[in-house]
Amino acid sequence: MKWYEVIDKIDRRVIYLLLTLFVIIPFFIPFTMRQNIMPQTKQLFDFIESIHPNDKAVVLSLDYTPQTMPECHPMAIALLKHCFARNIPVVGLSFDVQAPGLAVDAFATVADTINSMATSQEDSVIYGRDYVYLGWKSGFVAAMLDMGKSIAGVFPRDYFRNSVDSFPLMQKINTYKNIAIVVILSASDYPEYWILYPQSRYGVKIGAGLTAVMAPKYYPFLQTGQLSGMMSGMKGAAEYEHLVLNSGYAKRLGKAVTGMNSQSMIHILIIIFIILGNIGYFFSRKRKGEK
Amino acid sequence: MSTDPWIWIGAFLTLMIFSFLYKDNPFYKFAEHLFVGVANGYYIAFYWHNALRPNLFEPLSAGNIIYAIPLLLGLMYFARFIPKVSWLVRIPIGFMIGWGAGLSIPAYFQAFVLKQLEGTIVIPQTFVNTTEGIWALVILIGVVCTLVYFYFSKEHKGILKPTARIGIIFIMIGFGASFGYTVMARVSLLIGRIQFLLGPWLGLIE
Repeated sequence: MKWYEVIDKIDRRVIYLLLTLFVIIPFFIPFTMRQNIMPQTKQLFDFIESIHPNDKAVVLSLDYTPQTMPECHPMAIALLKHCFARNIPVVGLSFDVQAPGLAVDAFATVADTINSMATSQEDSVIYGRDYVYLGWKSGFVAAMLDMGKSIAGVFPRDYFRNSVDSFPLMQKINTYKNIAIVVILSASDYPEYWILYPQSRYGVKIGAGLTAVMAPKYYPFLQTGQLSGMMSGMKGAAEYEHLVLNSGYAKRLGKAVTGMNSQSMIHILIIIFIILGNIGYFFSRKRKGEK
Repeated sequence: MSTDPWIWIGAFLTLMIFSFLYKDNPFYKFAEHLFVGVANGYYIAFYWHNALRPNLFEPLSAGNIIYAIPLLLGLMYFARFIPKVSWLVRIPIGFMIGWGAGLSIPAYFQAFVLKQLEGTIVIPQTFVNTTEGIWALVILIGVVCTLVYFYFSKEHKGILKPTARIGIIFIMIGFGASFGYTVMARVSLLIGRIQFLLGPWLGLIE
């Protein structure tokens, strides 16, 4: 068998094994690959930076699923750290059926981390004062539109079945007028609906944290200003983690940065395989042509 | 290593699914069927507790008769299974199409057609920042050439031929970017699972 036939017929299981090894190795040989911050991630970070503390709230629509956790969960953690560090109130909600459990986990993780280092009530992050999680609502288009009239009307009770009116935070957040930006962390097309309905009717500012598969579809919305910033996949999450760390809002990087080391290694491996595959294919075809 | 039985179940199910990469086997089949069953159970229970009960049955039992209308409309969907009254299904479908079209047509035009068109228009002010001006031109050329490529009412000859050729280059670049992002997304899922196996299960990483 000729050398080019060998590379043309590498067993797929060998490729899977190499992929797995390339994912695992960076976890045990720690190194940090330089992350270039993409403009759309910086744009979202800067928007959050421009919000006045204890004024308008950030609505975080957590609509990702367990299978897309590696991409979207670090985004949620980094965004929450950023908002809480700047005393920006956060209102969480979900329209995806699979999201509530993950959303509760994201809020609890960040709140516990901050509260474990807090020395006073002011430093702490308190449910109902600094953030609420409204839970899931069916009929998302109608819910998005009705939130323009009354958020408490759409979500009379939070995820934990408490009356929303009982929270001090929700006393000052009634409609989109009290919302600085809605950031959607999603594995499906919810950002499109936010742009389509609440933005068209109420002019709501929209940001997005998307899985990498979805990102190319949303670039045109950045160009037109319909999106005020975007995080794309694990890379977007890693970039936001870097921005939050560099600005002093966090003490350490999150999971996305560690994952990006493996991601970069895998990309190198895939590029090598694409080149090898093409060389094998080119020589095999040339050989057949000679025959 | 974890002592939480749920972590162990998660780890074993992950390994069962990954075993398909070697070849199809009963462990993979078991995990796949279990996933479908659990997912269905979750959805039914979730919708009952979070949609049907609080939004329909509780208000109905509290005497709000108006909620009988959505209940009736919903039940009409099941008329499909009874041939004699299957025509009834047209009523809720018609209602949904009417509502959906009325709501989405103006919004689509405003958000997707007019706004995107606005983003493609190049005006002198676009060139205040040279770099942005150049990119705006690239977008304009890309949009026009891609639209020409999909214009099939006239044969691609003369000026249409090179324009359509440029269009296909833009389309290919778009496909390349999408493919690259898709690879990144799929690898991210693998990384997530490996992080779970090495971290919460084996305790080898933080």
